[in-house]
Amino acid sequence: MKRTAVALVLLPLPLAAQTPSPTPAPGEQLPVVRHVLDNGMTFLVLPRRQAPTVSLVVHYPVGSVNEHLGNTGIAHVLEHMLFKGSREIGTTDPTLEAPLLAATDAAHDSLLAELARPRPDTSRVRHLTDAVASFEDQAEVFAIPNEYARILSAAGGRGLNATTSYEATRYFIELPVNRLELWFALESDRMRNPVLRGFHTELDVVHEERRMRLETSPGGIVQTALLATAFQVHPYGVPVIGHAADLEYMSRRQVAEYFRDYYGARNAVAAIVGDVDTDQVVEWAEEYFGAVPAGRAVPPVLAREPEQAGERRITVEFDAEPRLMIGWRAVSGLHEDAPALQMLASLLTAGRSTRLYRRLVAGDRSAIHVSAYLGPAFAYPGLFILNAVPKAPHTTHELEESIYQELHDIQSTAPDSSALVRIKNQIRAGEYRRLSSSLELAMQIAESEAMLGDWRETFRLSRRILEVTPEDVRRVAAKYLQASSRTVATMVRKDGSQ
Amino acid sequence: MNRGSGAAVADSRAATPVRPVSCGCARRRIRAVTAAVALLMPVGHATAQQPVRERIASLEFPRLGFTPAQPREETVRGVTVYFLPNDELPLVTFYAVFKGGVGHLPRDYLAAASAMPTLLRGGGTASMPPDSVDLHIESLALAMSFGQGGGSASSWVNSLAEHLDEAVTLWAEMLREPRFDSVQVEQWRGAEMERVRRRGDDPASLAYTRFNRIMYGDHPVGWEMSPGDLDPADVAEEKLRHVHEAQFCPGNMVLGVAGDVDWDRAEALLEDVLSDWPACSGNLQEYPVPDIRREPGVFVIHKPIEQSVVIAAHSSSLRQGDTPAYFASRIGNSILGASGLSSRLNTEVRTREGLAYGASSLWTTSRRNDGLIGAVTRTRPGSTLAAARLLLEVLGSMRDGEPSDDEVARVVDEAVNGFVFNFGTPLQVVARSMTYRTLDLPDDWLERYLRGIQRVTPGAVHNVFRDQLDPDRMTILLVGDTTRFDGSPTELGTVTILEEDPPPPPQDPSPPHGWLRSPH
Repeated sequence: MKRTAVALVLLPLPLAAQTPSPTPAPGEQLPVVRHVLDNGMTFLVLPRRQAPTVSLVVHYPVGSVNEHLGNTGIAHVLEHMLFKGSREIGTTDPTLEAPLLAATDAAHDSLLAELARPRPDTSRVRHLTDAVASFEDQAEVFAIPNEYARILSAAGGRGLNATTSYEATRYFIELPVNRLELWFALESDRMRNPVLRGFHTELDVVHEERRMRLETSPGGIVQTALLATAFQVHPYGVPVIGHAADLEYMSRRQVAEYFRDYYGARNAVAAIVGDVDTDQVVEWAEEYFGAVPAGRAVPPVLAREPEQAGERRITVEFDAEPRLMIGWRAVSGLHEDAPALQMLASLLTAGRSTRLYRRLVAGDRSAIHVSAYLGPAFAYPGLFILNAVPKAPHTTHELEESIYQELHDIQSTAPDSSALVRIKNQIRAGEYRRLSSSLELAMQIAESEAMLGDWRETFRLSRRILEVTPEDVRRVAAKYLQASSRTVATMVRKDGSQ
Repeated sequence: MNRGSGAAVADSRAATPVRPVSCGCARRRIRAVTAAVALLMPVGHATAQQPVRERIASLEFPRLGFTPAQPREETVRGVTVYFLPNDELPLVTFYAVFKGGVGHLPRDYLAAASAMPTLLRGGGTASMPPDSVDLHIESLALAMSFGQGGGSASSWVNSLAEHLDEAVTLWAEMLREPRFDSVQVEQWRGAEMERVRRRGDDPASLAYTRFNRIMYGDHPVGWEMSPGDLDPADVAEEKLRHVHEAQFCPGNMVLGVAGDVDWDRAEALLEDVLSDWPACSGNLQEYPVPDIRREPGVFVIHKPIEQSVVIAAHSSSLRQGDTPAYFASRIGNSILGASGLSSRLNTEVRTREGLAYGASSLWTTSRRNDGLIGAVTRTRPGSTLAAARLLLEVLGSMRDGEPSDDEVARVVDEAVNGFVFNFGTPLQVVARSMTYRTLDLPDDWLERYLRGIQRVTPGAVHNVFRDQLDPDRMTILLVGDTTRFDGSPTELGTVTILEEDPPPPPQDPSPPHGWLRSPH
């Protein structure tokens, strides 16, 4: 083996960017075709000649920030329910099924009305609870469980799924490209005529998902506590999956109305990436989706979290070892300081050479994990979040002190520019890596189009980080990471160990 | 939510001719699985007046004009290399798989073998201390991975094409000449001790590792890292070298190259890497034959949490191979619980009963040893036993009768129509060939597999489940809040109560000696 020394390439590396490159990012140059239907639905089509497959994403800029107390979790519940089929798919007889579903709703409405009385009649509550289950059972006789998924999987579909976040809901699948028209038929059908069958059983499923993600996961528990404490007005304070009590009493009619209002064509962006013929895609888009109702525009979320007047602390007891999460009030992903805060997060924890990794994990070994990011979402002012997992017998208190000392240093003295160069190199290489997967690419351009109004904007945003200077990092650290604007969430065992 | 108006609507609709049917105390009935299966049958009668169904039925799907990409198989210094160029993006991946792993070493090498991926990445090289390696990786903007399972280890580096020479040179030095920096070794040991302390934090992780221990006992699959495995002597340099020289060597290696590079350049780099890489030491032992628990039983771990974990499984003697029974088992396993939402387990446990977010089957098969067959789910404490019984019932349905033609056709169609997804990226194609070589499977295993599953009949699926599955032989593990279970676990069989392992005592909190004196 040749013992060629690997040059320590900090500045000479062509990747290294001291100033922003005038050339557009590779992603911006993709030959994406944008087509908007008369009803407002946007299609982004990117032919890609690899395997004869196609990645399909429909993105709606509707998520849990578009909910309110009483219906929290509704966007996520709807995400589940849109897999139940349509007026035709998922049932053996829609005519016989429909009155049973209506009867289920009626019984449920009566149940809610009874529960709302000052002193609910327990026997009537029991009777109505049984009635809801009974009608739903009778309707289920006509259901074909999971038929929508079954048709697509038999067609060779991969990864059929959906996700809900604070700011969006998206549905996706990959198909052999010769089955593309099948997707047009099924997706447009469920956008026009979804039937939310098996609703109350599916609510049980959502409760189980909630238990798994929030109630038995130490990380989920701490994050929920942090956000609920930091955000007392803005919907970032409510978990995407919603409050258990709201799920308990959610009605099928509420969810159907939510769908009708916000999941119309004008809010939908479909991204289609793969071995496709653009003209054919546009023709099918017009043919299948042209009649989808436009729906309403998503109303803006105007709630703004008031200034935080002092540090907040929350301690959660759970049957797990201690962990720590700190969030400082920060900015949205679009704010001019966001790139510098993202750079700060990378300098602190993104890799083995970073400041907090070296101090806490490699240095005094008081932690086994530390990570930082700007969150919990993008569009509204959020938090600069730091996660840390102590290594016994070190405590979360010790970690806090070390973290604050390190932050004090960076607030006082701008970081070395070579550290920024290394991160910018990663961003440059990442501009190509993020194009590797057709599905992920489809998700990126759909989200960018829906949230930022231009599919290219996501690629431009990452370039803003290349303009960040060491002084920018120092400045935002000093400006945002103040004790008075932070919230500290700590998990402790019931015996109080930290 | 306007409850007042909701009541009015309810009153007006209560006059509809539909009447509730009492379902007793239980919110929903547990239906016979056979009835559920019947509903999975095609619904031909419903199509006449249903335009979407008509539309779908009338669609014609053109044949895909597709020539699957095949990697070139080359040999460099006796090592097999799979190569598939692609210049869509200026990125290249070099990938190595090494046979061996924890399962090919005695228990007292568990810590050393487990530490290997972390220390190859972070422990420095003969010519560079750990910090310098980190700086090189970050400066060259490399993506790099080191990992291992019980039977093999793997590593890859992904680089911009313009930095390929430096990337491969660095990666190869990390693989073949690790420094095992003592500070990094000690850091890994401390972090691993903490991970042992935290094993109970995640109930699913706790359940899976404990179930393996119950079923496999003192076998690599059943080993759980414990404080006794993590003495400083367990990761002494001679132990680490012993493992490294046995496993990370050309005789154990299969290589892959994919991306924006031509073969001449790739070959030159590999020649350089492999030219004087020492031969394997021969220290790996044969993978031990597991003696999997045969007796039925119920094990319970009390943990005061909001969701229980339920696992039920027993041993299976079926082997992976080009046999009708193996292919039938794969189709049957998909029908049972490995095909997402459409599987029987998800249809019953999730969609019909709302007992869980998901339920899935497990049927592990290897070429030489027995595996496990069973199912797993998570549910609220008050439905723990109901979920366990339903898992057993759905498992039993596969033994009790043939699946429908439609069920078999659906999972076969999924694999056949989705064949093109086996060729999504050049790296995927290369990695598959490497895996087949590592597992001693024939190069055309994918084609054989597709041919094999298309010959599977409902009768063959039934036969393989009748041969391999016996719900009465199940070992069941329940992890959850036993005070809120919907009955006594004794209803499922003879119960053994297990305790969570007590957390090991914390290590010395003082900063480790020498961490600033690492030879940087």
